[in-house]
Parts: sequence; structure tokens; C-alpha cells
Amino acid sequence: MPEYAIIQSILNGILLGGLYAIVGIGMSMVFGIMGLTNLAHGDMIILSTFLCIFFVTQLIPNIFLALIITILIMMALGFLIQNFLVNRVLDKGGEPALLVTFGVSIFIQNVLLMIFGADAQVVHTQLAAINIITTKFFSVSALYLFNFIVALLVIGVLHCIVYYTYFGRSIRATSDNVVAAELMGVSTKRIYSYTMCLAMVSAAIAGLLIGMTFISYPSTGTQYLIIAFGVVVIGGMGSLIGTLLGGIILGLAQLLGAYFFGAGYQALTGYIVLLIILTVRPQGLLGTAIRK
Amino acid sequence: MKAVLQIQDLSISFGNNHVLKSLTFDVMPKEVLGVIGPNGAGKTVMLNILTGTLQPTKGKIFFQGENITHKSITERCRMGVGRTFQVPRPFEKMTVFENVIVAGVYGGGLVEKEAQKRARGIIDKIGLSPKINWFAGKLGLLDRKRLEIGRALAINPKILLLDEVAGGLTESEVVEILGVVQAVKKQGVSVVWIEHVLKTMREGTDRVLCLAEGRNIVCGLPEEVMSSKEVLDTYLGVDER
Amino acid sequence: MGSINWRLTLKISSLAVLLAIFCAVPLWNKEYITMVFMLIFLYMSLGHMWNLLAGYAGLVSLGQQIFIGIGGYSLAVITELYQLPWAVGLAIGGLLAVIFAMVISQPIFKMRGVYFTIGTWIVAEALGVFFSNWSYVRYARGFNITVSYRMSTTEVYYLALAVGVASMALVYVLLRSKLGLALMAMRDNESAAETMGIELYKTKLKCFLIAAFVTGITGGVLYLYIAFISPSAAFGIDWTVAMVFMVIIGGIGTIEGPIIGAVFFVLIKQFLYDYPGISLIILGVLAIVIILVAPKGIVGTLNDRYGWELLSPRRRG
Repeated sequence: MPEYAIIQSILNGILLGGLYAIVGIGMSMVFGIMGLTNLAHGDMIILSTFLCIFFVTQLIPNIFLALIITILIMMALGFLIQNFLVNRVLDKGGEPALLVTFGVSIFIQNVLLMIFGADAQVVHTQLAAINIITTKFFSVSALYLFNFIVALLVIGVLHCIVYYTYFGRSIRATSDNVVAAELMGVSTKRIYSYTMCLAMVSAAIAGLLIGMTFISYPSTGTQYLIIAFGVVVIGGMGSLIGTLLGGIILGLAQLLGAYFFGAGYQALTGYIVLLIILTVRPQGLLGTAIRK
Repeated sequence: MKAVLQIQDLSISFGNNHVLKSLTFDVMPKEVLGVIGPNGAGKTVMLNILTGTLQPTKGKIFFQGENITHKSITERCRMGVGRTFQVPRPFEKMTVFENVIVAGVYGGGLVEKEAQKRARGIIDKIGLSPKINWFAGKLGLLDRKRLEIGRALAINPKILLLDEVAGGLTESEVVEILGVVQAVKKQGVSVVWIEHVLKTMREGTDRVLCLAEGRNIVCGLPEEVMSSKEVLDTYLGVDER
Repeated sequence: MGSINWRLTLKISSLAVLLAIFCAVPLWNKEYITMVFMLIFLYMSLGHMWNLLAGYAGLVSLGQQIFIGIGGYSLAVITELYQLPWAVGLAIGGLLAVIFAMVISQPIFKMRGVYFTIGTWIVAEALGVFFSNWSYVRYARGFNITVSYRMSTTEVYYLALAVGVASMALVYVLLRSKLGLALMAMRDNESAAETMGIELYKTKLKCFLIAAFVTGITGGVLYLYIAFISPSAAFGIDWTVAMVFMVIIGGIGTIEGPIIGAVFFVLIKQFLYDYPGISLIILGVLAIVIILVAPKGIVGTLNDRYGWELLSPRRRG
């Protein structure tokens, strides 16, 4: 039924958008709160994917336990990187911090390459083979739906953390005004480190979902960095709802591109849509995001 | 005599914050006009509008009779609007000499050889000759402020906008800066001098304008303005350093 | 004056001796050594161009592989599909790189700061995908560049030497020129530079185009040596990774930085040739450490401590 394929593309695009939102949300938080563009974000996601795969295949066949261990490791890693590397250069202007994360990105990529080799990796799951709904016009993949629901949950939980906890208030105070926050007794550097931890939790979850949904290589981090950046740019930094919208726009752009021009152009249309948005509205589609 | 700079009905708002409210004044040839006012009166914002860093919400700026309201920063510089920054922004990894040459070549439109010649003269005038080959990053505050003025002079300005050049300096250093400004004035350059320190204004200016809450509240001879009721009211309780 | 002339003579003669030594490298008849020197010159050229952008013009681009890919593919297409000489391929590569830079400069310069950084990277990734889907360039299969089978390492070496020396001379002359004054001023403080009458946009555009041209030609020569081109490698981030690491390690915003950086980079890479991942891990760690403890790099730090300047663009008063 090729004439109905477009319905399937749109549906998948929206569901894929949920996955992209989780890919981007950590980067969005880091960008919004400390003005840092974490060029290692994509590689941190892929690192999580590989960690999950490693734990599931080598240690414990339980995927939830694997995810929890991965989350803990990623949190520790995020804290260390933020505390000992990024925080030390954050006040020296944008470039040094950017380049530090670039170095971290290349480091992670090559460590993965060394340990796991250049082969494709995937998290095996039964979800991939199941369709929840199958009609004449379209079907809903259990995996894509699962991704989307998890995305909503993660965004919801982050929303609650940012708006209803003391920690969230300190984060918001810091992102509004560093000096004032410091005067109120908030240690901004510490907040940055915790923010990175939180971002790494989202990266770890994203890593697992990516691993279940797509084939991953040590070098695929770049792809997800660009997706994450796209989500941040389209959605406006730090905006949680915008993140979801940004993910959906990118997901739709890719799958409609694939529908109209062929599967080879899926990534390309995503990139082009992103470049156009960057050119026309450099500050993002939603809100007036100003870089610190 | 025709004014060098005419500011007409200049206003600027950031959201609901109206920083300047239809400000109007003229700057005459060869005069040093002091601009005083408490913190937040809009002095630096005004300067940034005059140089083109900010666009006014309303109003016009005429420079030598030409409307420059929508001209870019570099165009204004080449026409002869020079400025200094409140916190000096030297090119730290370039020498004092090179700092002044840059301004002469780009702002003054000179070929490099002539710019070098002019730079030597200016550096002599601002008293930095012994440090001509120093990296600007190694200079102390007084020398940085001198260099700010030197660079602004190298573009061969018709008008010089000084942003708190005396701020942060000791009493004797202020005297030196006053000397430099007087020398600039003798060259026939008009000066708009923003300052927080009232004392320098009394000695170094021909006219003083007092800005408060974005309005021109009083303008006239330094002595008159300083002792006027408006200024005393504005500064009441404000510490005069 | 006497001592300055004496110094100048010393400098010029030592440069001449150095050049003579470089010209004589192939006479040594050790192909491996020749190749290492060749790579140093080519990477130095890449480093110089990235330094020009990031170190002076404030344009931190992560998309310089765009121009390597264009240079390499021009060479491949011209020599393979049209059977024309490699020199034509190199020239067209440089030309197309500039034209492409001109075309993307309009939109890409609207992006500032980190947006520019990632914007250039996205353009490179998009080009890689586009080439993989383009029948004219044989999709992702790429080309064997057969013209290079007929060239000896020595021939490519002299080309690389020419590119390396030319890029060095270009940067030196550029920094001694009027444009150089603007670039050094912008490196130190953009807003002050603008107030001194320097047009930031124009100056940045000039640098972007110059860097595109030289990087395009260098990319062509690199692919004369590599002899096989495919989209994912030609438009891969690894090229720019090399540039970034070289310039940071050597010293960003200095003339000599890219030279030192290139020597470091190529030697470490060759030394660990059998473990490609490890060399990048080491270089990555080194780059991070340098940003943290000596942000001016090797040259900048020596410069601060000992006033050491090999090739000074300074004007003396």
C-alpha cells in the first residue's frame, strides 16, 4: 500500500521525535544552564549504548539492571568531567570549554573503537519485532511507541525536578544570574557538576533506547550530537516542551525526506532542515535563546 | 558656530526599561563637554548609541550635519568618531606601537608607513614613548587608559568620546589624564567626557551636562551645574569621591 | 641598526639552509622518512589554515573537511573520469573549494559562535551523505585515484613541500600585511577592533576564503598520496580533529604553533601507526591537558617565558 506509506512515515517521524528529544534533552539542559555546548554529548550517548550492551551480554542478562549500572557510571563520569575538566575552563570564555569537550568526544570515540572494535553493535530486544497496532493504513511499532513513552516520562520527571525541588530552584537561579546565585549561597560550579550528572542520566537512557532501535558504531556519536544540537536549536535551550517539539520536527524531516527522496537521504534532509533553521532563525524556532 | 555633534530626541528602551528619554544636546567644536550623573543614569548607554553599538528606539544623531543614526560602528569611526572603553580593551598580545598603528591604518585610513609616523607622535603625546615596544597586556591601569586615548586619537577623530577615563585612578594619575585631555582639546578635537568623579569634571571641562534617569536635567558651565539645585538633589546622599 | 641587519641575515640564511635540507630529504633515499616529512608539510598547511580561522579570525570551524573532500574529489573526478593531468585536478579543487566557501558563507556567517562551529560541521556531514548518494561520484564506493600509482613518493613530497612552504609564507605575509594588523587586533579583542574601524565581516570572509582555497589544494595533494577516496573518509571529522589538536598543542594564535603541532601530530601518529585509536587518545588527552594548564600551547608558553619568537610579525617602534 505505497499510497498509505506517507501516513506511516509521519507516524514514525513523530514517534522517532520522542527518541530524539531524549537524545537532545541533556544537551539542552547543559546549554541552557551553563552556556556550554557539550560536543561530547553524542559520544556519551553511544558510550552508554556500549556499556548497556556490555553489561547485558557479559554480566547480567537483565536490561533494567544493566541500565541502572550504566546510569550510575555515566553520572560519575559526567561529574568527573565537569568537575575536573570543564569547570576549570568555563570562565575563560566559550572556546576553551568547547574544545575540551571536543577532546573528550574524540577520546571516548577512540576508546570505544579500541575496546569494541569498529563492528556494529545492537541491544537485542523482543520489542523490535512486535507491532502494537496493525491496520490497513499503518502499524505502530512497539519499540517506537516505547521510546516515545519513555521520552514523555523522562521529560516529565525532569520538569518536576527543575520546578518542584530545591535543587531545581538552585539550577534555575544559577541559569538566570550567576552572580546573584552565588550571593545567595549557591555554589554554581557544584550546580554545574550536578547538572551534568542529570544530563548524563538522560544520556544513559537515550543510549539504551538508541541501542535497541538502531545499529551503533563507535563513530555514530557525531550523528547524535548533531541531532541533539538540532533539538536544542529548534526547541530553544532549556525549554523542555520545546525539546519534544524539536525532536518531532527533526524526526519528521528525516522520515519524510526518506519517503520522498529515498532512504539514503534520511539523514541529509534532517541536516538541511537544521541548516535552514539555523540560517533563518539562528536563535531557534521557539523563544529567544540568547547565548550566555 | 555649527555644532559637531547634534543629538535630537534620543530615546532607548529595553523592554519596559526606558533608559534614555528624549535626550537632546549639541557638542560644539573644540569644546570639552562633561556628562555626569549617578549610576544607571544611562551615560554608557548613551555613548554606545553614539558609537553605533546600540540602536536608539527613537531620535536622530547628526555628525557634522550628516545623519549618522543608522551608520555602522566602523563607518562612524572612519568619519571621525573616536571612543575609549570604560574598562580598557587593549590588544594585549600586540605592542603599544602596534595598537596605535591598527587604529591609524583602519580608522584613520592611512598606509602603514604614515600610520607608524602618526603613532610615534601620538605615543609621545600620551607619554608612552618609553614603553612603545611593550606588549599592551603588560601595562598598568593608567597606561592602559592612556593607550585607549592614544588609539582613539590615531583614527584622527573630530570628536572623542571618553568613558570614565579617570575612574579607578589615583589623584596624581587623574592630573596626568587631565593633561592629556587638554592636549587633545588644543588639537581642535571636541570631547564628550563621561565621568563619575565630579572633581575632574569641574577642572577639565568647558560645559557639563547632568543626566538623571535618562533625562538631561541641567546643562551649563561646570561651576553653575555643580552647584545647581538639580545636581545637588540628584547626588544627595551619593558619595562624591 | 647593525645588529638588526645581522640578525636578519642570520634568519634568512638559516631559513635558506633549512629549505635546502628539506629539498634534499628525498636524496636520503629512505622512502619512509620522505613520507613522514611529506605528511608534516601537508598537515602543517592544514594547521596554518585552521589557526588562521580559529586563532585569529575567531571562526572556530569544525567543518574544514568540507574543503579537503572537495579538493580530493576534484582530483579524483578530473583524473579518473576525464583523464586530465593531476595538476588540473588540484587547481580545480582549490577553485571549487573557494566557490563553495563563497556560497555557504552567506548563510553560515549568520551563525555566530558555537552555532558557526556546529553549522560548519553539519555542512560537512551533509556533504558526506550527499556524495554517498551521488551517482556521478560513484556513491559511497569512491574512486581509486590511479594517477598517483604512477607518481613516486619523491614527486608527491616536492608538491607537499611546495604546499607547506607556500602556506607558511602566505600566513607570514598575511600577518605582516594590513590584513594581519586587523587579524591580530580581532584575535585580541573583537569589539575594540570594530571600534578602531576594522570591518569584522569582511575580514572574516577573506580568511574563510583563503583557508578554503589552501585547504582544498592541500586536500588534493593528500589524496595524491592516499590514492583512494570515499565520502565518509573525505568528509570525515578526523581531518579537523587533526587540525584542532595540532593547533592547540602547538599554540593557537601564533605563527609557529601549527609547525610544532604538525611535527608532534605526524610523529605520534606514525609512531603508533599500528594502533590508530591510541594516537588519537594520546593526542586528545594532551590537547585537554594543554587547554587546562597551558592554554597558549607550546609556542605561546615559550613565548611568554622566554620572549621566543621564530618568525615575528612585529612592527618595531
